[in-house]
Amino acid sequence: MDEVVAEYIRRTVLKIPRDEIMGVLRKWGFLSETQLGAINFRQTKDSISQEVVQLCEENSADIKQAAILDIIYNNIYPNKRVWSVYQMKKTGEETDLFDFTNFKKKFKRQLQSALKNVTISFREYEDNAIWIRIAWGTPYTKPNQYKTSYVVYHSQTPYVFISVSVLKSNLPLLCQALVVASNYHDIREMELRSHCLNSLKDIVFKRYSQNFQTHYPKQEKNVATENVDVRIIQEDKSEKERIQRVNREVFGDGPQPKLEFAQYKLETMFKSDPKMDVLEKREPFRCLVKFSSPDLLESLKSLVPAGMADAPLSPLLTCIPQKARNYFKIRERKGVLPGSFVRP
Amino acid sequence: MEERKAYSQDGVLAHLEMLEAQAHELALKQEEKEQQEEKLAGLKARVQELRARRDELRAKLELQQKRLLENGGAETHPEQPSARAVLEWKIKSVKALLQLFYLTGISGKLTKRGVCFCISTAYEGTYLESYYLDVLTKPEVQIQRHSVPIFIPLEQIAKKYLQTDIRRFLSVLSDHLNAYAARRYQADQLQERFSDRLEGTLQRNSLCNLLVFHYNVPSDGRSFLFTARLLYADPCCSLPTEAIVSCTPDAPAALAEVAAAHSDAFRRVALHKAFDSFSKAEETQDEALISPPGSPQ
Repeated sequence: MDEVVAEYIRRTVLKIPRDEIMGVLRKWGFLSETQLGAINFRQTKDSISQEVVQLCEENSADIKQAAILDIIYNNIYPNKRVWSVYQMKKTGEETDLFDFTNFKKKFKRQLQSALKNVTISFREYEDNAIWIRIAWGTPYTKPNQYKTSYVVYHSQTPYVFISVSVLKSNLPLLCQALVVASNYHDIREMELRSHCLNSLKDIVFKRYSQNFQTHYPKQEKNVATENVDVRIIQEDKSEKERIQRVNREVFGDGPQPKLEFAQYKLETMFKSDPKMDVLEKREPFRCLVKFSSPDLLESLKSLVPAGMADAPLSPLLTCIPQKARNYFKIRERKGVLPGSFVRP
Repeated sequence: MEERKAYSQDGVLAHLEMLEAQAHELALKQEEKEQQEEKLAGLKARVQELRARRDELRAKLELQQKRLLENGGAETHPEQPSARAVLEWKIKSVKALLQLFYLTGISGKLTKRGVCFCISTAYEGTYLESYYLDVLTKPEVQIQRHSVPIFIPLEQIAKKYLQTDIRRFLSVLSDHLNAYAARRYQADQLQERFSDRLEGTLQRNSLCNLLVFHYNVPSDGRSFLFTARLLYADPCCSLPTEAIVSCTPDAPAALAEVAAAHSDAFRRVALHKAFDSFSKAEETQDEALISPPGSPQ
C-alpha cells in the first residue's frame, strides 16, 4: 500500500472522536466485520489508527478508498468547514432527467481536460445529495490529498454547496465542471456562508418552518401551564402576547437555520446635525457592522421577547432566510426620500 | 369661592390636582354619555333593520301562501325554518365544502393580504405530503413564500399561469406535485418491500424521474440479473414514458421475452405493483414446474 495512502488514512482516523471510529469505519465498509471486531478500541487513538492502517494494508487500500473515507468523515462532520452557496442558471425549460452516471462522467471529463492531476471521488446519499471530493495537484505535480475541496449537490436543483478552503484559484475550473455536468449554463456565488451545511440547505431549499395559515392547524403542543401564583398580575400581558404573535409571524414556529454571522457593509452618508458639521466632505461613511453568534437567527428571534429590542425587528435582520443571504451592502437611496435601502 | 380660598392654603399643586380630577371625571361622564347615545342610535338602527327584514319575510310568506293556494295545495303554509336551523345548515354546508376541497387536494384560506393555498398529495388512497403557498393579491398576484420543493419548476409554472388563470396554475402545480409524490412513493416502496430482489442500490434523483436498478429474475432454478432503466419524461405523469429492461449477455434467449414483458409492465402499472405481479407470475411458474398440468397427481 502506498505510504501516502497509509498516512492519509491514519490522519483521517485520528480526526474522528474515539467513540465514533467504529461507526465511521462501518459506514466505509472497506474493512470486514471480523477485521473491525479485532480492533481494540480501548487503546490510545494513535494506536487505534495504526491498527486500522494495518488492516487496510491487508486489504490493499488505494487512494480511491481513502478518498471515500475522507468524504464519509466530512459528511458526518460537515460543520468543521465553511460552506459557500452557489446558484446556477439555465435557460431551457425541459424536464431534467438527471442521470448520476452521466453527471460523474461529464464532471470528470470537464475537470480533467483542464487539469489532469486531480483525484475526483463521488458518493451519493439517501437524501439525493451528491458529495464530490477533489484533491488538487498542479500541471506538474501529483494531487495533494491534503489540499481538497468538497462539493455537495442535490440533483435537479440550482444550488451547489462548496467548501474550498485552499487554492481559490481552482474555483473557476470547479464551477465550470459543475455547470457542464449538470446541464446549466451559468453559476454565481451567493452572499451566503456558514459552517452549518444543513442550515444552508434549509435556507435555500426553504425547508425551515414557515407559519402557513391553514384550516387544519397542526396539533399545537400543550404549553405546560406553570403554577403561577394568582396574586401575580402581568401588567403588560397584552403587549407580551402581541410580541409573541409578531415574533411567530416573522420567524415561524420551529427552530431557525443556524448561521454564525450577518455582515452589513454600510456605504451611507453620515447623518448629523448640520450645525455640528462632523464630516466636511459629503462622501459615504464606510462602516462594517457584523453580528456574530453561535446561532444568530435564534438569538434574533429571542431579542424582542427578552426585551432587548422593539418589535417588529428591522427587516434587514429578519429578511436573512427569505433573501438567502447573510452578507449585505447598504447604499444610499437616491431620490426624494432620505434613508438607506438594501441593494441585493 | 370659599372652597377655592380654603384649598389654596394647602398649595397650588394640590388645587391643580383637584381641578384635574374634576376635569377627568367630567370627561369620563361625557364619554359615557356619548357611548350610550351611540349605543342607542345603533340599537335603533338595528330595530329598523329587523323590522324591515320582518316585513320582507312576511311579504315572502304571503307570496308563497298565495302561490300554494293557486296551485290548489291544501297544505298549510310551510314551516318556517328557525334561524338556528338555518345557521346549522350553513355551517354544515361550509364544512362539507371545506372537506370536499381537502379531498380534491387543493384548499385555500383567506389571509390578511391574500390567500394561503394548501396542495395535498395522495397516491392510491394514501395521503402524502402537503405543500403550502402564500399568495398575495395586492398590488398584483404574486407568491410571497411557499414550501414547494426546490426541484419542482414552480417559477416556470407561475410565469405561465399565475397572473392570467390562477385555477389553471393551481391545477398544473398540483399535477406536478402529485406526480412527484407518486413517483417517490413507488421508488420508496420498491426499496422497502423488494429489497431482497434488488442488487446494489437503486439509482434515483430528486424528482424521481430517472430510476436505474438491477434485480434478480429466477428461471430454471438459476437467477439472472436484469437491469431496468425507467425514464419519466412527463413531469405530470407517475408512470414511465420509457422502460428499458435488459438482461446479462449470458442469459438464455427465452429471457428476452420476459424482459419485454417486464418493460411493458413497468410502463403500464405502478412500480411496486409490477414487482408484485412478477412475484406472482414466478410463483405460478414454479407451481407449474412442480406439478405440470396433465401429470398424474
